[in-house]
Order: sequence, then C-alpha cells, then structure tokens
Amino acid sequence: MRYFILALLPFLALFLQSTIFRTFSIHGAIPDMVLVLVVFYALFNGARKGMVYGVICGLLEDLYIGRFIGINSISKGIIAYIVGRLQVNVFKENFIVGVIGVIGGTLLNSVLLFILSLTSFEVFNLDHSIFVDMLYQGIYNTLIAIPIYVWYYRSSSRGLLREVGER
Amino acid sequence: MFNFLRKKGFWTILVTSLLLLVIMKLSSSNRQEITLLEKLVRDSYSPLQTGVDKLEIGINNISVGLAQKKEIEEQIGALEIKNNRLSLENQQLRENRAEVERLRSLLAYKQAQQDQYDLEAARVIARSPNNWYKVITIDKGAENGIAGGMPVINPNGLVGRVVSVSTNSAQIWLITDREMAVGAILQETRETRGIVEGMGDNGTLRMINIPYYSQVRVGENVISSGLSETYPPGIQIGSIQAVNKESNGLVLSATVSPAVDFNQLEEVLVIKKFRKIEANGNKGA
Repeated sequence: MRYFILALLPFLALFLQSTIFRTFSIHGAIPDMVLVLVVFYALFNGARKGMVYGVICGLLEDLYIGRFIGINSISKGIIAYIVGRLQVNVFKENFIVGVIGVIGGTLLNSVLLFILSLTSFEVFNLDHSIFVDMLYQGIYNTLIAIPIYVWYYRSSSRGLLREVGER
Repeated sequence: MFNFLRKKGFWTILVTSLLLLVIMKLSSSNRQEITLLEKLVRDSYSPLQTGVDKLEIGINNISVGLAQKKEIEEQIGALEIKNNRLSLENQQLRENRAEVERLRSLLAYKQAQQDQYDLEAARVIARSPNNWYKVITIDKGAENGIAGGMPVINPNGLVGRVVSVSTNSAQIWLITDREMAVGAILQETRETRGIVEGMGDNGTLRMINIPYYSQVRVGENVISSGLSETYPPGIQIGSIQAVNKESNGLVLSATVSPAVDFNQLEEVLVIKKFRKIEANGNKGA
C-alpha cells in the first residue's frame, strides 16, 4: 500500500499542477508539488532512497512534458540527495524543517534547471521573468508545503506511508 | 583516495546521469514523433484532464442554471459563435484592407485568393505543469487528424504550434514559450519583416531584427508573415507596445502585446491545412 501511495502521489501532483493549480496561479506561477513530495520523501527516508524517488518522479514529469527528458530527473535526484544527506541532524517534528527544505529545494531546482538548460536549449530567452517566477513559485511551494508536511509527517509515523518494518 | 571508484553506487549514479544527459540532449530538438512511453503517460492523463475540464464546465453551468439557465445558455452560445465569426472576419477584413491599399497604391490590383483553412476546434484540457514552459494540452489528437507542426489559432489571433501528438491529445507550444519564434510583419506599413519570439511570459512577446530606419509605431498590428512553412500569412500576433533600440545600434526590437489572452484560453482552432505563399507571391495549395 505504501508503495502504491508513493507512486500515486507524483502522478496526482502532476495532474493537479496541469489542471486545477493553473486556475489558482499566483502571477502566472504554479507550485511544484512534485518537488515538495521529493523533498519530504528524502527528509524521511535519507539520501539514497530519496535520490531514487527524485529521479523517478522527475522522469515522470519529463515524460509528460516531453521536452529535455531527464532535466527534472537529474535536478530532483540531486535535490533529494542533498536533502537526504542533511536530514540526519534535524528535528523532523517541526514543520519549519519541511518548509526550509522546500524553499531551499525550490531555489536549487531553479538554478539546476537553468544550468542544465544552458547545455541543451537552442533558442532560449532569458530575462528577469524567470527569477520572478522562481520567487512566486517559492512562495506558493511554501504555502502548500505546510499542510502537505503535516499530513506527510503523520502518515509516515502512523499512517499509510509508515514503513512496514516499523509497525 | 579513490575508494569511491569501487563503490557500486557511484557507478550507478554516474551511468544514470550520463544516460539522462544523453536523453536530454536527444529530446531537446523538435521531434515529430514522441516515444511510446511518453504516449502512454499522456494518454493516461488526458481522460482525467478532460474530466476536470467537463467538471469545470458543469460547475459553471450549475451557477448559471439558477437563473434562467437554458435561455441564457442559448443566448451566450449564439453570441459566442457570432462573436468568434465576427472576430475572424474582422481580422481577415483588416488584412484585406491593408492589402487593397497596398495594391491600389501600386495600381496593379490583382484578385487575391482568400486563405482557406481546414480547421479543427479543440478544448484546452491542461497546461504546462511547470513555470518554465508555456504549453497547453488539447483534447484532440492523432485520432482527429491532428499532426505535429500544425499552426493553432483562436478568433483573436495566433496561439502556437502543435508539437507532439498522442492518440487523443496534443501538446501545443504557445508563441509565448521561450523557444518559439514566428516570422512577422507590420500590418499597415508592410515594410518591416522581423521575428516575434516568446519571452516565457504570457503577457509579452518581443519582435527582433527590425531595421533601425523602420517607421515602427506603438499600437501597430503585428501579423504572421507567412514566409515560413509553419504559419499561414496574415494571422494577428499582437500589437507593438514599445520600441527599443538595441545596443549595437543597427537594429530595433519591440515589445509586443499578444492578441490572444493566454491566461483565459479555453478553446482553440487547429489549422489542419492552409494555402501557402509561393515564392513568386501567388498563393498555391
């Protein structure tokens, strides 16, 4: 059941990002729920598992978008690895940890996408709008991160996402 | 020192990263065909997205239904059709007027053939799931005769181009996408040929390669030039908002306000066939 939920979550996140969240965008920016999920998974499961989950979730996003397949996979894999390495020394009961992880993840994701884009894009107009989008996405991600973190924490400790061996 | 080279995890990460970078490079150029895996992912999403779209329509209908639903619906439907038809006619007439003036001034009037489009109406069921790309997904795909490269319009003007198609959905890159460029011309003066490119922002386009001596004015209409194989000529792209001098001093660029409201885009028309301009200026099939 745990794995089914973990597989369903990025699928659902992409679905919401491409439909409902577009109606409720902030200055045209929408949240990156897939990134939020990857950050939380890495926080609770460590660097190795987090990186695998990040790569898989990113790949799903890439396949849906169909452009520069692998770009989100690499960036989300790297973010999950870094979050997973840093999570050992933090107190996960506090939702601020999740929020900081998401803000850091959003900034890093934008930087990584930008760097990776430079290696591939043939025509790519860069201007300040990318950074404006990044700012609004950061705010949006933070807003949705709080309720998702509360649910994720509960679910990981005593709900559907609890590891079987810990029962 | 190099103990990490013996670790299986290191090699797994390295091979995966290299593989992904190669795939990324291969999928960066415009592809006519998408892979089976991509088709599978998109086809699994499109029924759900169509469902949400219908749900949204349903919710709107319920709210309207409280007050003389049927009558208002009929009126709105008729007015929308009329409005769309008039907008298209208006766009065509503006283009025709400019054309007539041009031909009169040359004293060599020649009967111009109307562009004939084979159109397919489609609903927008989803948008880009991230902020980097300006992409929409429509509810018509290969089953409805949609193919990659087809131009997409709405009654207000040019929307974009079909980039990839799955069985029952198609992905369209909007002209506001950072990778999009359209050959354009100023409708009134016809003197300036330039390129309109997307800035990744739904409210702004940029026209580049305008010669420094151009008499480009704020408010002037920008239309597709039709010189490329992709877009038919005379489709409204937007209007000039501001003119800027480039640092090299040889060319100007202009900020263009798009004719289409990309944030409110619900229905589009895919041009399945259109007459293309021949090199001698005549239009042929």
